[in-house]
Amino acid sequence: METLPNSGEGFLKATLRPVSVFRFDQLSIIHNAMLRYIGRRLLLIPVVLIGLSILTFVISRVVPGDPVKLAAGTQARPEQIERLRADFGLDRPLVEQYLMYMGGLLQGNWGYSISNRREVGPDLVRYFMATLELTIVSTLLGMAIGIPLAIISARWRDRLPDHLARFFSIGTASVPVFWIAIILQIILAQNLRLLPVSGRFDARAEFPEIITGMLLFDTLLRGNFEGFGIALRYIIIPAMCQSLLVISVVTRQLRGDMLDMMSKDFVRVARANGIPERMIWLRYLMKNALIATVSMLGFIIGFQLGGAPLIEYVLDWPGIGQYALKAALLLDFQPIMGSTLFIGCVVVGVNLVTDLLYRSIDPRIGFR
Amino acid sequence: MSTPTQKLVEAFRTGQISRRQFMTMLAALGATAAAAPVMAHAPGIRTAPQARPLKQIEPKVLVYGASQDIATIDPSDRVDYSISAIMRQLYDRLFRFEGGWPQPVEPNLCTEWSTNENGSVWTFKITDQAKFHDGSPLTASDVVYSYQRTLRFQRQRSSLLSGYLDVDGISAPDATTVVMNLKTPYPAFDRLLAFLEQPIVSEAIAKANEVDGDEGAAWLVDHEAGSGPFTIKNWQIGTVYELEAVPDYWQGWPGEGRLAGVVWQKSEDAGTRKQGLLAGNFDISDTVSVTDVEEINNTEGLQALVNFGLLGGYLKYNTQEGPTADVNFRKFLNYSFNRQAFSDSQLGFIKDMVSPIPEGVPGYNPDNQPQYTYNPELAKAALDASPYAAGGFSIDFVYVAGLDFEEAGGLILLDELRKYNITLNLVPKNWPDIVGACTAPVGGPPIAFIFDQFPPLADTWLIEKYSSKSWDRPTGGSFQACSFYKNEQVDALLDELKVTVDADRATAIVTEVQALVAADAPDLPLYVAPNVLGIADRVKGFNYFGDISVDFWRLWIE
Repeated sequence: METLPNSGEGFLKATLRPVSVFRFDQLSIIHNAMLRYIGRRLLLIPVVLIGLSILTFVISRVVPGDPVKLAAGTQARPEQIERLRADFGLDRPLVEQYLMYMGGLLQGNWGYSISNRREVGPDLVRYFMATLELTIVSTLLGMAIGIPLAIISARWRDRLPDHLARFFSIGTASVPVFWIAIILQIILAQNLRLLPVSGRFDARAEFPEIITGMLLFDTLLRGNFEGFGIALRYIIIPAMCQSLLVISVVTRQLRGDMLDMMSKDFVRVARANGIPERMIWLRYLMKNALIATVSMLGFIIGFQLGGAPLIEYVLDWPGIGQYALKAALLLDFQPIMGSTLFIGCVVVGVNLVTDLLYRSIDPRIGFR
Repeated sequence: MSTPTQKLVEAFRTGQISRRQFMTMLAALGATAAAAPVMAHAPGIRTAPQARPLKQIEPKVLVYGASQDIATIDPSDRVDYSISAIMRQLYDRLFRFEGGWPQPVEPNLCTEWSTNENGSVWTFKITDQAKFHDGSPLTASDVVYSYQRTLRFQRQRSSLLSGYLDVDGISAPDATTVVMNLKTPYPAFDRLLAFLEQPIVSEAIAKANEVDGDEGAAWLVDHEAGSGPFTIKNWQIGTVYELEAVPDYWQGWPGEGRLAGVVWQKSEDAGTRKQGLLAGNFDISDTVSVTDVEEINNTEGLQALVNFGLLGGYLKYNTQEGPTADVNFRKFLNYSFNRQAFSDSQLGFIKDMVSPIPEGVPGYNPDNQPQYTYNPELAKAALDASPYAAGGFSIDFVYVAGLDFEEAGGLILLDELRKYNITLNLVPKNWPDIVGACTAPVGGPPIAFIFDQFPPLADTWLIEKYSSKSWDRPTGGSFQACSFYKNEQVDALLDELKVTVDADRATAIVTEVQALVAADAPDLPLYVAPNVLGIADRVKGFNYFGDISVDFWRLWIE
């Protein structure tokens, strides 16, 4: 807790002020510090990505198997194999191959898939947008369920609601998510016929025009509410599955932090000053307790933006996880490199945003 | 589906016959049907199927639950089952192969064809009725361009074709005649062309979309320039693949109705494909698991069709390294494999292989000897004749990680070898690793569970699998040749088979090679895997032709 002034009005104001209140008089100082901090972090990104690219490149080359033979097909003639090897520069020294790839990358060329000759860049964006859409919906859903559960759990600590909430949050993290997906398919799709089994949009309906690649947003942008409804129905089961991790983490982390905050002086003073309990919970306790949760959420979102191959596989969600997994299984090295670096960029970006966000929530952390 | 097959399926569904009876009768039915048309690939004058008036059945969209994505639709790039299934709808070919099982050659664009005495020059007359989707006529020049484009690209689709045809070996003397001069005489070239299904692309459209001399390759990855019964309505990679019918398709529609369109819904998980079918999301689901057959058949309005094609499962032994280099040890393994136990593990949905090539390939010899069945006495005798009679060693059994039926095969063999003090190490590997390991005998898998599938041409099967030239070469071997088999007599016969134009001699060679290979036991031809299709009763017109997928042109929904 902050140092308390001695007495009088200042005492009461300082005591009742949550630690996270943003003070505009500090704006310019914070602004400069923040810019320096962002600058330092941005400078580190190329270092991280180069390290990642070298690691991925080496791993993709030392694993057994020959991607050229796989791509050339079962009856490929020797000259076809050699031509394909030359087409993709695989007949050149490894260092030269790496430099060629990175050179292309600097010019915005993510390379081509050796298995289907498709450009990697547009495919990465296409699959990533499906993953991003799912991550947004599942995170919102997870927070919408997880935050009330955490409040209920902390408010009625060691009582039935707490036990139920903890059972739910631990259970969701303990059960394999693909199993949950199958159970939801059987109950909601096959038996009750409330939702579709899999996929992203109704095959018999008019597919919406693509703008961002996120169907919920695209349908809304076009005012296509029927399409929005269809897309929503299709995202519910995948989002429910993907939100389980969010629910679990948010519930447990937020509950623990709220309980921790309850014993803090500023909460006791607030209570002593007669501030309504609801306001104490929502404004004082939760806001302060959110700091660690935001940090965890950032980690989870970064993780989820890397794709969820199992959910995507079972529910036919065309996300980047499946794309990367398929590339890995086929030793399709340029999509492997592309998806790893792309996901790496996303994770670094999300971590940066998370860092900025919880520094904004809690100015004590600073930008050093 | 033919009427007797329908009756058989109905009898099985209503419980009049057991599953085993069903399988036996189905196999018998297939064998009966197999007799005539298989060998009947001699050139002659055929006519394309005639259009028939449609009943007043409102065309509907069919949703197809597929186990595989569609990587590309470039007509010159590559083939797999999903690409082929879609290409048949978007493009026409010289021949079609969807007339039934075992795959009679049917004319499509080709109205008549002929060859010279030794099968080195082929002349094809094509219809003047075909039109591309932009309304322009399909001519012999487009046929020539399509084949040449594939040969120029030198990608996977050209692998087999380039062994027989060069870019300058094909020409169009007039608008309806195509002539192909082969590098090597090949009397079954029409059958090969039927299998290769080269889509005929509009030269004008391909060139109109050319970028940097790529012959439209970048554009044709997800656009079409064909003349088939369907055209693209919506093509979002990874998300939606939607076709719509061309109502005035030049060849008409063969069924009592037709489809309005087809949606190829990728659904890679077998459980999800079944759920989609049961929930009514899909009209057809392919590659259904055998464990789901009963549930589907017990669901009103649905049925699971079990057919067998040319996907053969083999235990391949490394004949150059380790214990499996000894022929008696290999025979010991063959006699030790309990086929019945394996069949039971697959609920009986398998067809035993008794020859190195599966039934359906011309020249297949059902009486080939020796036939390896589970026989502990013969197994013991073979082991005793080998240097490994005392046991006390271990050997790797490599299979594709995640394929439970391959693992089941390993477990069955493991259980049996334990009796002889031999430890079988089950080694699951990713498919690329297995392909890589099959490059050379040193480091090659001692025993590998591998599936092979080739065109219904005996020479292709035998050469790719059993000629030492398929692995003893600078670029190494393919997974089909993972036995690293070398028998000079077999090599000589296969060299002769490749160029012989005498049909009787070819048949004799195929028979002899089957016997020689079986005697050397470089592998255990285990079983032909089933193609299981879950299909709603409302879908009509299905005709099995050996493929995992279906020919949408023939279907309609009532």
